Amino acid sequence: MANQVSLEPNQKINLKAARRKERVNKLKKNKLIYLMIAPGILYFLIYKYFPMYGLIIAFQDYKPYLGITGSPWVGFAHFERLFQDPDFWMIFKNTIVLFILQLVIAFPIPIILALMLNEIRHQFYKKSIQTLIYIPHFMSWVVIVSISYVMLTLDGGIINSLLRAMGFGPINFLLSEEWFRPMYILQIIWRESGWGTIIFLAAIAGVDPQLYEAAKIDGASRLRQIWHITLPSIRSVIIILLILKIGDVLELGFEHVYLLLNSSNRAVAEIFDTYVFTAGLQQGQFSYSTAVGFFKGIVGLILVIGANKLAKKYGEEGVY
Amino acid sequence: MKRSKKVVLYAGVCVGLVGLAACNQNESASSEGGGASDGPITMMATLHTPEVPDKKIQNMIEEETGATLDIQWVPGDNYDERLNAAFATGTLPQVVSIQNPDLFIGAIQDDQFWEVGPYLDEYENLSKLKPEILENSKIDGKIYSIYQGRPLSRSGIIYRKDWADNLGLEAPTNIDEVYEMARAFTEDDPDGNGRDDTFGITDRNDMQYGAFKAVASWHGTPNDWGIKDGVITPEFMFDEYMDTLNYIKDIHENGYMNQDFPVTSKTDQQDMFKTGKAGIYIGSMGDVETIYRDAVALNPDVELDVHNYVEGPDGEYGIWSIPGYGSLMMFPKSAVETEDELKKILDFFDKLMDTDTMNTLVWGVEDEHYTVEDGLAKTIAENQQAADREVKPYLSIEIGEAETSGRYEGYSDYPPKTKATELEKDNEQYLIQDASIGLHSDEYIQNGERLQGIIQDATYQYILGQLDEDGFNKAIDNWKNQGGQTIMDEYTESYNELN
Repeated sequence: MANQVSLEPNQKINLKAARRKERVNKLKKNKLIYLMIAPGILYFLIYKYFPMYGLIIAFQDYKPYLGITGSPWVGFAHFERLFQDPDFWMIFKNTIVLFILQLVIAFPIPIILALMLNEIRHQFYKKSIQTLIYIPHFMSWVVIVSISYVMLTLDGGIINSLLRAMGFGPINFLLSEEWFRPMYILQIIWRESGWGTIIFLAAIAGVDPQLYEAAKIDGASRLRQIWHITLPSIRSVIIILLILKIGDVLELGFEHVYLLLNSSNRAVAEIFDTYVFTAGLQQGQFSYSTAVGFFKGIVGLILVIGANKLAKKYGEEGVY
Repeated sequence: MKRSKKVVLYAGVCVGLVGLAACNQNESASSEGGGASDGPITMMATLHTPEVPDKKIQNMIEEETGATLDIQWVPGDNYDERLNAAFATGTLPQVVSIQNPDLFIGAIQDDQFWEVGPYLDEYENLSKLKPEILENSKIDGKIYSIYQGRPLSRSGIIYRKDWADNLGLEAPTNIDEVYEMARAFTEDDPDGNGRDDTFGITDRNDMQYGAFKAVASWHGTPNDWGIKDGVITPEFMFDEYMDTLNYIKDIHENGYMNQDFPVTSKTDQQDMFKTGKAGIYIGSMGDVETIYRDAVALNPDVELDVHNYVEGPDGEYGIWSIPGYGSLMMFPKSAVETEDELKKILDFFDKLMDTDTMNTLVWGVEDEHYTVEDGLAKTIAENQQAADREVKPYLSIEIGEAETSGRYEGYSDYPPKTKATELEKDNEQYLIQDASIGLHSDEYIQNGERLQGIIQDATYQYILGQLDEDGFNKAIDNWKNQGGQTIMDEYTESYNELN
């Protein structure tokens, strides 16, 4: 680069000046559009990027009254402590298992629901179902977990009463390791699948009707149409949502898991978020919990970049 | 490319510095405001009621003490969080109330709070604070706080007197009789409706204020920490703890208590009692009045009684005790900058502890919120709601207790409630104190709570039959290896230094 500049300095400068002018012109021309994204940029700067400087405390022995400028540096001590924690691999595994369950079981359900709803010809019926299934999205996890608790408890819960009436023994849903994961995933499906369905329905609505007509003339059945037209048409939406989902990889919903967590299922239910809360915030160990959160963020970043690369390799657009 | 990265970095650093500078400015500005000798006393108080009280009582107190107050009410649930945040941003008020001083021990040792011990004798009322409770509130042998007194032990049994009468049972006086009562309430149809729809004990997800700790005390288990062969040892390494586990396990296995107690909330626990599903409630005896009020609305025939004395296997009764304070008022040096300011604040609390002022704070206005009957304060029933809204929140800034401030004790026209108050006093003869009070362990502050989690999990799992005795002992080894042994060593060292 230095060579090039020294070879033909004048030309280069002219070119640069021209480019700059062009850029300024573009800015001027589109100033309203730039103004429109300003709030968004400000939001990200203030609430997402600026707070990142707080990550510094992961490398400090942070004391609130000394502040970031006054706390002593400890290098990677907190990370060492995390990796040496006897529970580290258990927490790592639990987090990954719950994530995979979400991806494999909870993610496809809205797609299937959307395809099914799309086949319903009766508009009123379709709209009512659509509305009904997305209502749980607006309920907080506290409500959903409480409802499940009332249904599943051994002390007069309706499910166990039914089981007893049918001659089966009671099942300890709340205080066992085996039932934690099914309970977790079912609650997610119940709360979130209706919401996801709407997005996929919107994508399906955008498919060119001519394609279906052509397929019908060629004698394709309903199932064939779904397989060869609907699904390929919404493929990019599915993939983008999937990548976004992976972006939330370790955001398994602190509140949700924390509400379900108890002494009997901790071995499968403790995840990074709950660990940060109990080991970190409850005991005022800010630096350590920041280090754990930092580690979690890095794992999430790696997964998103990986997923995006994979999507691009198969000719999809990806999120960036 | 490289350069643009640098620019971003510089920009970030600049923004950061500007932000910090701004924070610092705020800090000095606010502390200057608080520092002026005629400024109000700023205070962060815990709010235990749903609403922030209006200023009526505050104005009266200001009039009686001649001070002006600036009270910031913070809900009890996130008080610690807010306190930490105030610490981090340098916006601490002059007075904070702290429930668990262990959390702030680092700051205390770093000289962030005023030591008040040497001043207390100069004040007429503050000098009356009980020395044994001040002793319990000491950190490294120094007093940093003035305390809010609370009864040492409220633990006991609330039970369905009508059920016991139906079955010809007396109040249980030893652990076998408690067991028998739980069995009879489950199996012998105590409500006489011919259906198998009752059980004995209702418990909740709280090992301390629920049933567990009281039952452990009956068995003679130490209160968190005991002394074994000169070593400060956690309760779960004593045989009595294992006896307690087996006792509760047996009750649970036979269905004499609610099966999902490790995930039962306090509301659900009390509901089972109020609706006539369960007949024994082990916990704070003072709860009897609120429980009765709700229960009698559902079933007018409900009769309740309270009881405290339950002998263990060795024929003795003991009950765990709190250190005698609910919370501690402490004074951060960042907000209280000079000794004069501290004295001004202590002077306010001294005046606040005057008998009349304390009565205003705790009971409100005589003949409006309460009347005096037999030397006790009785809340006027029709004005109960007003009292709950206007007066009750201020209880969280009470100093000392009725005995030291001379304020009225409460009067109740529900006899079991009066009996509960008497039994709380009776409990004081049988207290089991925590042997670690006043002792210091860095490891405990760092890791104590997380380690306690291991034991709590194992305790519940053992009771539920998900863990056997070997498994429980493994959990203890686990606790020891992950830092528990260090805590024991540090406590013991600290104990030997003091004795």
